[in-house]
Amino acid sequence: MKTPLAMKTTSSTRLTTRNVCHTLYDKRSGWVCGLLLLGAVTMCGAEGTAGACCAAESAEKTSRPACCEAMASGAFSKNSLYQADASFTDDTGRAFTLGQLRGRPVVLTMFFASCGYACPLLVTDMQAIRGRLPAEQRDRALFVLVSFDTVRDTPEALAKYRAQRGLDGSWVLLHGDGEAIRELAALLGVKYQQETDGMFSHSNLITVLNAEGEVVHQRTGLKGGLDEAAQAVLRAGS
Amino acid sequence: MRTIPAGIYTPLLRSTKAAAEITVPAFQLDERPVTNAEFLAFVTANPKWRREQVSRLFADSSYLENWVGDLEPGPSAPADAPVVRVSWFAARAYARWTGKRLPTTAEWELAAAAGYDRPDGKNDEQLKRDLYAWLARPVPAVHAAAASFRPDFHGVRGLHGLVWEWVEDFNSAMVTGESRGDTGLERDLFCGAGSAGAKDTTDYAAFMRQALRSSLKANNTTTALGFRCAQSLP
Repeated sequence: MKTPLAMKTTSSTRLTTRNVCHTLYDKRSGWVCGLLLLGAVTMCGAEGTAGACCAAESAEKTSRPACCEAMASGAFSKNSLYQADASFTDDTGRAFTLGQLRGRPVVLTMFFASCGYACPLLVTDMQAIRGRLPAEQRDRALFVLVSFDTVRDTPEALAKYRAQRGLDGSWVLLHGDGEAIRELAALLGVKYQQETDGMFSHSNLITVLNAEGEVVHQRTGLKGGLDEAAQAVLRAGS
Repeated sequence: MRTIPAGIYTPLLRSTKAAAEITVPAFQLDERPVTNAEFLAFVTANPKWRREQVSRLFADSSYLENWVGDLEPGPSAPADAPVVRVSWFAARAYARWTGKRLPTTAEWELAAAAGYDRPDGKNDEQLKRDLYAWLARPVPAVHAAAASFRPDFHGVRGLHGLVWEWVEDFNSAMVTGESRGDTGLERDLFCGAGSAGAKDTTDYAAFMRQALRSSLKANNTTTALGFRCAQSLP
């Protein structure tokens, strides 16, 4: 997925896009700003989460538009996971913060690519949740996999996993360092521990986040609950 | 801070595939838990961690409840007593602010294995008496100053007998996996008897610490849960 504008553009470019964004945002809605930015900045492609971020229905209409500074303090709701500081790397090697997911319903699971038992089932369940969504919601929701395995699940390994599992552009695969993973797990209520064979014992939790990054539903365990999870995604996207 | 020499930590409970022993490199540990005065300096400098401003995601509604006000600990939270009613997120943020980190479970338990005058606390009868006497007492309304506690073999005070303490990887304790059925661990660990996989069933206090850690969520705060910081050696 895409990198936030502020991280990939040069400082002068960033200043320009902010100014443009401010002007347009003040006159019109954040949507207009977002769409224009998508057109003006090539790295913010059609499927980009930066675009999703720009389109966010900001709960707090501050003077600084959320599209330009998604991680600005106070921009997220009190219960938004996107307040977390943790930074990740996606499977294309780009820096990624959870705030980039803002604006779209998210189905998120912590996993590791070499897991032979629970994780493949969790990913299959996420695909099944996606399959239960009407077409327009299916394209709007994002499906996020964050790996416990800070050593083996490099961005390259995650890219390979994406190819193996046939995960399209609506899937975000994230690598993080030990602190980032620990913080996200703490926020989600996920417990995990690495075993001597390099595998992980971990909670099996599929979490649904609304557009603001607030937890609205969790599917616990490995059985059932897919309809309820899909309904939660629908509500989160409505 | 005090230096804790390298050692071996033997996890209390483990699955069949978990490490039987963990080698812990030497590290530094605060001599005593973080105090109310120190935490006051932190929330003064970092408004988002003040009682009235903190997000419920990061600290539950009883965060710093024993303080009189946002920036006023008051009589129930003496300046030199350990700060309690702090969440894991808050403890971690404090540690980062001071350039330190929280100790891991292995580090904390290794440090806490020391006796008063000998490295092996499990053979220190006085330490055990003090520890179990503390466990038997209700949580006091006002905690004692950490500095008043007898230093242990490494010069560290109050690891036992003062307050429970957060560790960085508290969420690796998976005792609750059984009842929630949300992990793959219970098949290995919990077939009827929770202590079946225990290394040392006589270490009752260690069971209590494990149980506490596994019951906690990262935004929880309690009347007797504080923290201290650690640092890796260069």
